[in-house]
Amino acid sequence: MRKGFVVLLVGLLVISSVLMTTAGSTKAQEPKVLYTALLPGDVKIDPSLASDANSITMLNVLYVGLTGLHDETVAIEPGVATEWTVSDDGLVYTFTLAQGVSWVHYDAEAGEVVQVMDEAGAPLTLKAQDFVYGITRTLNPNTGSEYSSVLAPWVVNGQESLAGEAVELGVKALDDYTLEITSPQPAGFLPMLYGLWMARPQLQSVVEEFGDTWTEAANYVSYGPYALKSWEHDVEVTLIKNPFWAETMYIPQAKIDEINFIYLEEPAQLTAYEAGELDWIATVPLADLDRMRAERSDQLVIGPGQCTYYYGFNVLKDGVSNVHLRRALSMAVDRDVIVQILNAGQVPAGFFTLPALAAAPHQEDYPDLAIWSDAAKAQEEFQAYLADEGITADQVPQITLQHNTSQAHATLAQAIQQMWKDTLGLEVQITTQDFAVHQETMRFDAPQIWRLGWCFDYPDTHNFLYDVFRFVGPDSNNHTNWENPEFQALLDEAKTMTDNAARAELYAQAEHILVYEDAVMIPIYYYTSIDLTQPYVVRTYAQTGNERFEKWDLSE
Amino acid sequence: MAQYTARRFFYLLIVLLMVSAITFFIMHQIPGGPFTREKKLHPTVLKNLNAKYNLDDPLYKQYTDYLIDLFVPEITTGKHSGDVTEDFLVNIDLPFGDNAALRWINFGPSFNSRTLSVNDIIEQHLPISAQLGLGALLVSMGIGIPLGTIAALRKNTVYDYFSMSTAILGVSVPVIVLGPVLKYVVAVELDLLPSSGWGSWQQAIMPAFALGFAQSALLARLTRASLLQVLNEDYIRTAKAKGLRERRVVLVHAMKNAMIPIATVLGPLFAALITGTFVTETVFGIPGLGRYFVTSITNRDYAVIMGTTLLFAFFIVLSNFVVDLTYAWLDPRIRYD
Amino acid sequence: MSASEVVETQPAPASQVVSLRTVEKTRSPWMDAWRRLRRNRAALIGFVVISLNVLAAIFAPQIAPHSYTDQNYTALNSAPSWIIDLFPKMKPLGAEGGYVRVNDDYILGTDNLGRDLLTRIIYGARVSLSVAFIGPLVSLLVGTMFGMIAGYVGGRVDNIMMRIVDIMYAFPTLLLVILMMVFFRSSLNQSDPGTLAFRLNEIDSRTGGMIFIFIGIGLTSWMDTARLARGQVLSVRQKEYIEAANSIGADTPSIIFRHVLPNILGPIVVAESLAIPRYISFEAFLSFIGLGVNPPTPSWGSLIAEGSNAIISYPNQAIFPALALFFVMFAFNFLGDGLRDALDPRSSKEV
Repeated sequence: MRKGFVVLLVGLLVISSVLMTTAGSTKAQEPKVLYTALLPGDVKIDPSLASDANSITMLNVLYVGLTGLHDETVAIEPGVATEWTVSDDGLVYTFTLAQGVSWVHYDAEAGEVVQVMDEAGAPLTLKAQDFVYGITRTLNPNTGSEYSSVLAPWVVNGQESLAGEAVELGVKALDDYTLEITSPQPAGFLPMLYGLWMARPQLQSVVEEFGDTWTEAANYVSYGPYALKSWEHDVEVTLIKNPFWAETMYIPQAKIDEINFIYLEEPAQLTAYEAGELDWIATVPLADLDRMRAERSDQLVIGPGQCTYYYGFNVLKDGVSNVHLRRALSMAVDRDVIVQILNAGQVPAGFFTLPALAAAPHQEDYPDLAIWSDAAKAQEEFQAYLADEGITADQVPQITLQHNTSQAHATLAQAIQQMWKDTLGLEVQITTQDFAVHQETMRFDAPQIWRLGWCFDYPDTHNFLYDVFRFVGPDSNNHTNWENPEFQALLDEAKTMTDNAARAELYAQAEHILVYEDAVMIPIYYYTSIDLTQPYVVRTYAQTGNERFEKWDLSE
Repeated sequence: MAQYTARRFFYLLIVLLMVSAITFFIMHQIPGGPFTREKKLHPTVLKNLNAKYNLDDPLYKQYTDYLIDLFVPEITTGKHSGDVTEDFLVNIDLPFGDNAALRWINFGPSFNSRTLSVNDIIEQHLPISAQLGLGALLVSMGIGIPLGTIAALRKNTVYDYFSMSTAILGVSVPVIVLGPVLKYVVAVELDLLPSSGWGSWQQAIMPAFALGFAQSALLARLTRASLLQVLNEDYIRTAKAKGLRERRVVLVHAMKNAMIPIATVLGPLFAALITGTFVTETVFGIPGLGRYFVTSITNRDYAVIMGTTLLFAFFIVLSNFVVDLTYAWLDPRIRYD
Repeated sequence: MSASEVVETQPAPASQVVSLRTVEKTRSPWMDAWRRLRRNRAALIGFVVISLNVLAAIFAPQIAPHSYTDQNYTALNSAPSWIIDLFPKMKPLGAEGGYVRVNDDYILGTDNLGRDLLTRIIYGARVSLSVAFIGPLVSLLVGTMFGMIAGYVGGRVDNIMMRIVDIMYAFPTLLLVILMMVFFRSSLNQSDPGTLAFRLNEIDSRTGGMIFIFIGIGLTSWMDTARLARGQVLSVRQKEYIEAANSIGADTPSIIFRHVLPNILGPIVVAESLAIPRYISFEAFLSFIGLGVNPPTPSWGSLIAEGSNAIISYPNQAIFPALALFFVMFAFNFLGDGLRDALDPRSSKEV
């Protein structure tokens, strides 16, 4: 009996040790897979159609741009263009493309990434003509590109093409590996802008063969360090290493073999991360942040974000048509308390523009030009408003703040509602609308105060001040119904300049008009990015919000 | 019976038609459209997109076109285009012509995705919701009916109160609370089951329990009520008087009759569960159909709104029909007329 | 001859004849029912719990220790020591891995804006109990009327009316409610002063967004009642007293209201009382998808929805409102069951 037991035990030990060694040896050959999650909302990995951060991040590793931004320094660096020159008038950009970049496709049957072949059976490589096709497709109004309007002003005839005119665009293939883009106007940030996702090359044969469904995994082609392995809509996306990617100084061969993204809501992401099912999550519920700080301080990294959170005024509406009331409302918002409530290292905003952008004015450098939270001054302004209108405090018209449905917006709105009540004695009513209704009402009949955020498409101040507030009208991003020639002149002047320090000077003046003199919006805070990463992930932290997975690795 | 079925089928069509009409016109009344974005689309781009999906037609035309695509079978020849606007649920190859096929039921394209048709969405996500729904239904029956039976047999005793309290706990602790706690304890603290996702039976346990537990209160209460009523019927009294043992009486005679009202509820409950439950799917990260009921509205994805609504209506009417048939089996006195 | 005179000269309805007979022995069927209800301890407890909650809701300003809007930024997400002891996961600041601010001023802790949770639960009873009472009322009014007319008139009218019920039934509740809410809130926001829509919207904003919740509940809940009412009408319309009223020329409305309604109301009221938990959880669901009451008005549903975001780190924020909901659901359930048992004369033999 006893002997039998010992034999059994020894046997078990032998078997388990054999099993363990085989497990260990197979593990070495197993692909390195990074498991992560995305917030629900399917991606669009068509360079012409992508509009959300998830899609753009993926496109940055599937389709490398002409130029790119270094993930940590945000400095411009070569992408698939090895070098570029600009004409003296700053209008004509000539890009030289890297040679031998293959178009690839994931062959599900073979289970590997294969090169796309041309009719002659030779690998198809990336050519300048592909860029011409991609840009032309983006600027074709039939494509339905959301971001076409960002690119259109910077390509000759871009606007005309978008408006449906048959014109020749200012983009040409001088030869297979030389691309020329002509802009109707000069600007310092053009090399950066031409590297954006909507200006990426596309393979005409594939897009035309499959139509809208060319982005399905079975049809998809790309050339960057990763290829698309599978895409189950609204369920998961898997990227796989492209072994044909020719390593450059800036974009190495990927070390992680596969990246698996599943769609999960924020709280579910954290639970899956805590259960060890995910290796990295880029969003953490604010409610759990303090616990994470306490339990996983080594894994939690809070960095700068890409957006500004703000409230805007409709200056045509009762009450807020008066600048004193607007200024009072803005000054009464205690931004320090707001960031304390949010609790994720957010920065109180005194300007609209994110401080990290090129040519951005910093509120510390221009303290007199920014708007600051100041209860005493807010009350002064409120009295000035009452005197201006000749009314008493109880005759102030009903003010309404509208935000789109979200727990986080509701929390902030209630805090700010309370601040206005405490500081000014003003009862502001909050209404909540679903996102689309919110957008529609802002376009055509914006409420007195409304919430929005703005995130940069490319890290330049122009993308904030000019792209949001330069124009007014239902098709612009400016729902304030406010125009100021002085403000517009400053932006127009800064647009054509290349010296960022001088531009920052002008932008500071413009900000002063926007947030203080005319006070048409209340900048509230600058976002932060929150990452939780398991200790075995070797990674960089992208300041642009677009992670560069080819630089990541998984340690043992 | 044949006449009865025909009439029911006719009602089904009427219900679907009315539901589609009401949904169609309400959803077009809500501000915003499928291409409402934070970043405004260029007016020409917007115009072209609307034209592409025929959203610039007058409403009545859009509606009749929709109905025609959906209900009228088409005979097509040649290669099936891969276009999402040409995706049919039923494709029957016909033995003549150039690749001729009878094609029927086209719910149209999803405006939001551009690469998916509503049929794709239903085909991919309905089975997942159906599996979860079925699991939850079994759990809710497994919990609810025994609890209700115990409560009825031991009426106004501690057993009754305890059973009913358990059932009520299920409804009053919503899945948004139960789900995360369950997940944290089971997946994080105990590391027994995966926290979210779908594909293995392990992943189905927690969501099926959470969803089923919430529904079990309804069944428990109904079982208790109808069983109490049945137990007072004369034939049960007779059976008892004849000296049959109580357990036998309950199991054989009473339960079958008590199931009638339960069957009434099970039908629609089944339909509701298998077409997806938004909250449970959200909490457990299950890629079911439930979320499309909500996101299609926020995205103004008109064809998806119509598709999910009609699908739900279809299942409800169908399940009511099945319930009526089950009635007849449970209670021979009920006749079709 | 007016209708009322007719009614008085007609023979007493059969049910009244029966009850007259029983009155001699005991008191009345209602008294009987009340006696039975009082004997049912669970139902009585339910009644007491509901009464206490109603009182708490009415006297919320007197009972609540704080204001439901007051935000204390030094006590964001705080919890008192007893809660920290209760939930081992919640470690106090200062301890190893601790993260919870300890503040004993708030008995149940505070939310993410530093508002007192107990106060918000007490005030939350206002919305949730209103839903519990007005939900059934709406469903009772609309559903009973609808079902009675369908059942009494019968024929083609009945058929059409019941198809309408089928159509409403086949609508996904969720979709209907979301569409309605979005539709109401967006269209009413734009309406001109003086119109009905504008006034509705004003009432809605005054009550913290409750009106549209009631409308949503009403719209989605009357169908069951209608079916039940119709069924009941069908069973009583063949009774002798209805035929009698009919034969002496009483008009339809008077028959419906004077003879049919009183005889079918019992089962319907019981069914409604049993449906109350459904209405309460419906409000909670609306809050979860962001269509509930307007902030900062609290409701149990919105408190649970908000608290569920923090359920792992600060379980008290969701568990206590859920507990409040549990007790009231529990109470309504037992009261409802008790009512049915009490009103069902057959079950009295059991008691």
